[in-house]
Amino acid sequence: MKNCIIWMLALMALGCGNTHENQTSTTQSLGISDNEILVGSSLALGGHAGYLGTQTLHGAMAYIRHVNQRGGIYGRRIKVITYDDGYDPPRCVTNTQKLIVQDKVFSLFCYVGTPTTVKILPLVEEARIPVVGMFTGANALREPLNRYLINVRASYYQETGAAVTHLVEAIKLKKIAVFYQYDAYGFDGLKGTEIALRPYGLVPVATGTYIRGTLDVEEGLRKIMAAQAEAVVMIGTYEPCAKFIRLARERHFSPVFYNVSFVGADELARLLGRIDENIIVTQVVPPPEVSGSNKELWGAREYVALLKQYYPSDRPNFVSLEGYINAKVLVEGLERAGRELNREKFISAIESIQKLDLGIANLLSFSPRDHQGLERVYFTHLQDGKFVWRNH
Amino acid sequence: MAQSLIDRIRNSSLKNKIFFSVTAVILLISVLIALFTRWILISTLTSELKQRGLGIAYSIAESCRGFLLTNDVNQLTSLIFDARLGARRELVGYVFILDKQGQILAHTFTRDFPQQIALANRIAPDKDHRIQLMNAGREAIYDVAVAVNEGIYRIGSVHVGLYKKHIDQLINKLRTTFLGFVSVVILLFFIISHHLSKTITHPITRLTMVSDEISRGIFDVQLDMEKGLQHGGVKDEVRQLSRSFINMTNRIKESQAKLKESDNKYRSLFASGPNPIFVLDRKTLKILSANPSAEETYGYTKEELVGRPFTDLGPFELDENQWTEFNAQHAGNVTTISSKVQYFKKGYQAFYVNVHASPAFYEDKNALIVATTDISEMVEKDSQLIQASKMTTLGEMSAGIAHELNQPLNAIKMGSEFLEMMIEKEERIPEHELYQIVREVSSQVDRAEGIIRRLRDFGRKTDFTKEKILINDPVNTVLEIIGRQLRLQNIDVQLQLTANLPPILAHHNRIEQVIFNLLTNARDAINLKEESGMGNHPRNIIIRSYAEDGQVAVAVSDTGIGIDPAVKAQIFEAFFTTKKMGEGMGLGLSITSGIVEDYGGKIHIHSEEGQGTTFNLSFPAVQQTPPGG
Repeated sequence: MKNCIIWMLALMALGCGNTHENQTSTTQSLGISDNEILVGSSLALGGHAGYLGTQTLHGAMAYIRHVNQRGGIYGRRIKVITYDDGYDPPRCVTNTQKLIVQDKVFSLFCYVGTPTTVKILPLVEEARIPVVGMFTGANALREPLNRYLINVRASYYQETGAAVTHLVEAIKLKKIAVFYQYDAYGFDGLKGTEIALRPYGLVPVATGTYIRGTLDVEEGLRKIMAAQAEAVVMIGTYEPCAKFIRLARERHFSPVFYNVSFVGADELARLLGRIDENIIVTQVVPPPEVSGSNKELWGAREYVALLKQYYPSDRPNFVSLEGYINAKVLVEGLERAGRELNREKFISAIESIQKLDLGIANLLSFSPRDHQGLERVYFTHLQDGKFVWRNH
Repeated sequence: MAQSLIDRIRNSSLKNKIFFSVTAVILLISVLIALFTRWILISTLTSELKQRGLGIAYSIAESCRGFLLTNDVNQLTSLIFDARLGARRELVGYVFILDKQGQILAHTFTRDFPQQIALANRIAPDKDHRIQLMNAGREAIYDVAVAVNEGIYRIGSVHVGLYKKHIDQLINKLRTTFLGFVSVVILLFFIISHHLSKTITHPITRLTMVSDEISRGIFDVQLDMEKGLQHGGVKDEVRQLSRSFINMTNRIKESQAKLKESDNKYRSLFASGPNPIFVLDRKTLKILSANPSAEETYGYTKEELVGRPFTDLGPFELDENQWTEFNAQHAGNVTTISSKVQYFKKGYQAFYVNVHASPAFYEDKNALIVATTDISEMVEKDSQLIQASKMTTLGEMSAGIAHELNQPLNAIKMGSEFLEMMIEKEERIPEHELYQIVREVSSQVDRAEGIIRRLRDFGRKTDFTKEKILINDPVNTVLEIIGRQLRLQNIDVQLQLTANLPPILAHHNRIEQVIFNLLTNARDAINLKEESGMGNHPRNIIIRSYAEDGQVAVAVSDTGIGIDPAVKAQIFEAFFTTKKMGEGMGLGLSITSGIVEDYGGKIHIHSEEGQGTTFNLSFPAVQQTPPGG
């Protein structure tokens, strides 16, 4: 009998191989040297989304340069390696692999766009490298929770949810159409809209699409016009969206146009110029240029000041403010992680941030179960060629 | 160790045996199934894994051809990362694409590309794929290489690394599941076999218990047992066993009852039997028990008897043959040990008994059951009868005796008349004549006296103490008494006596009586033959004595009428006679036979009708103590 038990135990023991290989401690602190912390970013620095990438980077760099000038974090300056992916997912993947394998960065930072960022998830998981501040509200980066993904901004679900509520309850609209970029970004927005409509017993009356990198919006517009939509939820980038609005205007189709934050509100406004269409953009950061009397928004004013110092030619805008806030989160995390820095410590440090006031009327909070720092959605509408905060 | 295990199993209870064998079989089957399944699994899974790897590699090769031609590294990288999406990440360790020079174009590593694997698995020029097991770092990986061709020329290759541990994990998972299953089955069988063995062995245990009780003499258990065995079907072997067990118990009970009955019977026979019965220890001959009749007869209380050597009561002698016969058996036949022996009651009062013994088993000891039959009265009657018979004989002899006495008396008369005449004549008798006459008278008186003494001896009642006698003596004495008479009847008596015969244990005058009876019968038979007118024939009686085979024999032959074979069997019966009414009592041969048997002798008769009869008496000779022995 005793022999049988031993025999069984032996089999059991054989059954339990070590399925998880241990992360070697060397990769834990890659990118850290005595006076430097390497972070890497792959983002669109040119092409049809080049504005988004450049502005995000400028906002972030404004703060990072400020921090470096102050003496860095525990004597380590932050060095950001950037590669242009032109909002092209394959290039983003190659860039990311290069950042991880060749440059051996400590962390990834300031990624821009849903299709690009979603693509790098396998690399992130395999390399166990933190990604801080992604300029996308894609749900795929939030659910299921991934320890190495640190989202800062509110999600597209939150944005579209707030917008749909606004459209249905405040403006009393029922016929809502969706125009979206035919990729992971567009699908995410479409899903968010549909989820938000469902409680009202509504479905999108029409959907129109365009292909990323193109301006082929006519077919989508035709379908949405045919459905006589009262509002159009637009999940796209500034150029196709601007074209869509312009074409609609030409065809005397004037529903409420609603865009999510990724559209790049300032660039959209610039492209559209002064028109009197009803255009709403939800934002995840407050408008950067606010009256000096608003004490809550001291962070925005600080941003404006630093941007002016390091990038004097840039105008303050939503996109670059988001990049700036991402940089603040990165620096806060690095500081909290302490001198003996490694990736796991860094993540844990970020998770320890609770109700941190960044001066944007929106407290920053993380936890091991919540990897999205900010929750608030700001409504802006086009007014005199500029998106202004609709503080309702 | 195996031997000791086998021994332990062999010595364990039936329940454990059943349990162990069932468990062992289950384990064995499980192991065999496990090994078989493992073999099947590994081979199938490995081939399945390779097929899947080939499938993935071919689809990548198909998709990447365009990008290879344009050398679009970004698209290639993106493509191969996509190939690892979702669940495939568990299966696909890496993907990389080589150009036709074997340079890395794209790979999915997030660390430095391990250069050693790049060229480890080269596809032969004439093949379009190759699979090789290799070690990348710590892991065993199947590298599946697929060629990418444009037209007939190779422009690169796709390598897909498949974790071998994926199979191992699957196998481990299955093994764990299987082990769990087997454990459950074993547990189940543990319970079942436990129950089964209990079901089988419970009635057996009960049977054992019951038989234990029976062996302690408690028989009132079977009802209870029958009730407990109602579960099994009619064909249930255990139930059948129980049935036959119950039957056996009933049989035992019956025989026990019979035994008790017979025991009681014998006990009452023992207690109320008219004869004294003793139980003796076979070795020491001490009395173990005695019945009330023994107490009464011998005048001892039972307490006094028990423990007393039986030989205190009287002689108890067995020869070697009898002893071996007794010791060979626990209980057996009744043997007459001795008859007409003198035993002694309390106070040394003698009486005659016949002793019978039979071996028996008493209170776990070898014992002897000894019965002593009081035959004092019978012996008394016997001796009276013998006496009576003697008187008859004396009566028969009286004529002969008178004649015998007459002769000396006549001689004395003649002597005395001669003296008277001489005195009347006043003649002087010469001295020597007178002396001669007186001596003659005296010798005639002696002769008469001898006759009278012999008669007196013969008529005297004898006691029962045997003495050593020589067989020739009584023969001579009898002839002295009736020899003349026989000669007067013209019968020729021939004596062929052997001298120096060993003595026998007997009574002299009883043997005389026997001889006398035989001689008178012979005389009568001779006379009877004459009367029947058979013409001239010899009138002879021959008396022989001789020793033969430790026996001393005396034979009396006559030339008489012989014995009718029809009556031969009856002649020793009392009151049987062939003689005329008033001539004999018919006791002669009966008494003769009784006397001979008393001395352990035998009578053999040889008779031919009309030719004569021979009575042959043989007695055991007394063993002479060898001189100097």
